[in-house]
Amino acid sequence: MNRALPEMLNCMNAPGTIIAGNCTDMTVMERQRDRMKWQKCDHHDQQQQQIQYNFGGSELGGVFSLPIHAQGFHGFLGGNPAVKPDPSSENRWAELGFGSCGLVLNNNGTAGLEEMGNVLNNNISKTFSCSPAVAAEKRSSDTVLSQKLSLPAGKESFKKRKADEVQSNKAATAESDSTEKRMKSCAEEGDSKITEQISTKNNNKESSADTSRDNSKASEVQKPDYIHVRARRGQATDSHSLAERVRREKISERMKYLQDLVPGCNKITGKAGMLEEIINYVQSLQRQVEFLSMKLAAVNPRLDFNIDDLFAKEMFPTCGANFQTIGMSSEMTNSAYLQLNPMQRLASCGLDMGLNSTDLALRRTISAPGSIPEPFLDTSCFTQDQPTAIWDADLQNIFNVEFQQGRSSFQSQPFTGSIEGSNLKMEM
Amino acid sequence: MNSPNPNSLKSRFTKGLVKALIRINKNHPRSSSSPSISSSPREIRRRYHKIKTAAYASMACAVGTRRAWSRALLWKIQNQACNGGVVRRSIGSSSHYSMKKIVEQNKINELRKVVPGGEGMDTWSLLEETAHYMKCLTTQVKVMSTIVEIYSPTT
Repeated sequence: MNRALPEMLNCMNAPGTIIAGNCTDMTVMERQRDRMKWQKCDHHDQQQQQIQYNFGGSELGGVFSLPIHAQGFHGFLGGNPAVKPDPSSENRWAELGFGSCGLVLNNNGTAGLEEMGNVLNNNISKTFSCSPAVAAEKRSSDTVLSQKLSLPAGKESFKKRKADEVQSNKAATAESDSTEKRMKSCAEEGDSKITEQISTKNNNKESSADTSRDNSKASEVQKPDYIHVRARRGQATDSHSLAERVRREKISERMKYLQDLVPGCNKITGKAGMLEEIINYVQSLQRQVEFLSMKLAAVNPRLDFNIDDLFAKEMFPTCGANFQTIGMSSEMTNSAYLQLNPMQRLASCGLDMGLNSTDLALRRTISAPGSIPEPFLDTSCFTQDQPTAIWDADLQNIFNVEFQQGRSSFQSQPFTGSIEGSNLKMEM
Repeated sequence: MNSPNPNSLKSRFTKGLVKALIRINKNHPRSSSSPSISSSPREIRRRYHKIKTAAYASMACAVGTRRAWSRALLWKIQNQACNGGVVRRSIGSSSHYSMKKIVEQNKINELRKVVPGGEGMDTWSLLEETAHYMKCLTTQVKVMSTIVEIYSPTT
């Protein structure tokens, strides 16, 4: 024990070296401690060892602010053998350079240290779970480090850092989702430092953002509630402009996504032009719906639908043409031919109805009209088997007239879309 | 697209639309005895309005209330049924910075008018709703054109 004390004091005097993360030193000390045969509960021993292991990296030095329970250290440091705290944990704390933290220690002794050990163990083992890596990460800035502490310390600076951690999580949300998720999950698991470092390595701007955030930290002690946004290099760190920039980035991201959705918008770059295209496209889609519903109204008779059949047909819109090549039905031929004019228009608007179906329809009109319904049509559902013959004669007239009717009524509609208008003139 | 997903947006929309079409045709019976011009333009136009409303309503129902535009559409259709088509409009604010910004803001306001429910949204949500609305509109057009192609000649 006597040997241990001076060693420990040396460690105290040179916290930096210990903080550099010499695990070997600590294990030596640990062994010496064990040799001393301090009477301790088993679970405390384990806790303390856990704490030691976790504190291998000991970034806490200089940043850590212990609760008042740490006062027990003083007794130990004073060399009071009567005090029975967990020596290894105390040792670790000392090695961590507690003296530099300026803790006020008194002779509180055993209970305090145990409690502190428990507290620390509960909190720290949660947050730090990989000491060797942590030791390697020691080179990262203290500020990076400090954000991840989540101990329930009572100091105001610590609270500020805790708030900063929360805010930095919010900031990461503003910046990128992946970073945010990493940071949040790490706050729970204790890999925060590593991923933080990875993220800082990956994003140069974030490293500069750290400094900018730290510089502005002093002015923000009083307000822990507003959203932190990382400032980029060379850009203003004013909160308003940061929020504005975040908003603009989100909007431009959305615009890019919309650009992919709207066909033929790859060349347009300006926001106003893109918006114009989007508006036109949405309006044209709405007009298409109106046109189709008009057609359904004009042409749609009693529909005894069989929904399965509908699905069968719907699922093969392009294959529908293949069915018709078999030359099955007559009622489809003439009407299909006429129907295909607007279909063509729709095809040019980007639907699946291929122009090859037009050729098929032409062929079908020439072929002799049969009365065989299409195989996938459930004929029992349809009540119009008889008028097939009538169709042959009058179908074209009917549809011509109906289309003309539709056209005249269409003129009252605001059917001024560029694509549709030109096609209408072309085909009708 | 070989095996239909019964729960997809397209399937739900198709079912709703077909049911509505059946109902509409029951209510507006056409004289199918003679294939001559049986329905007057007025009747056609009335049916057209109903079918259009049915198309939008079934699409909005298929989407559900997850999206602001579908909620707005459903609300509007309900109101139209009750009140006869009272549509409230609130005009978005325009910015004052520069010509470019004014033009851009005007475009955004126009987009608000086009997308249902876009009046009370901020720009980012409006763009998101627009994307989803565009996708649903294309689905609607595809399904309706398929229906037209399949069932129109069977009078």
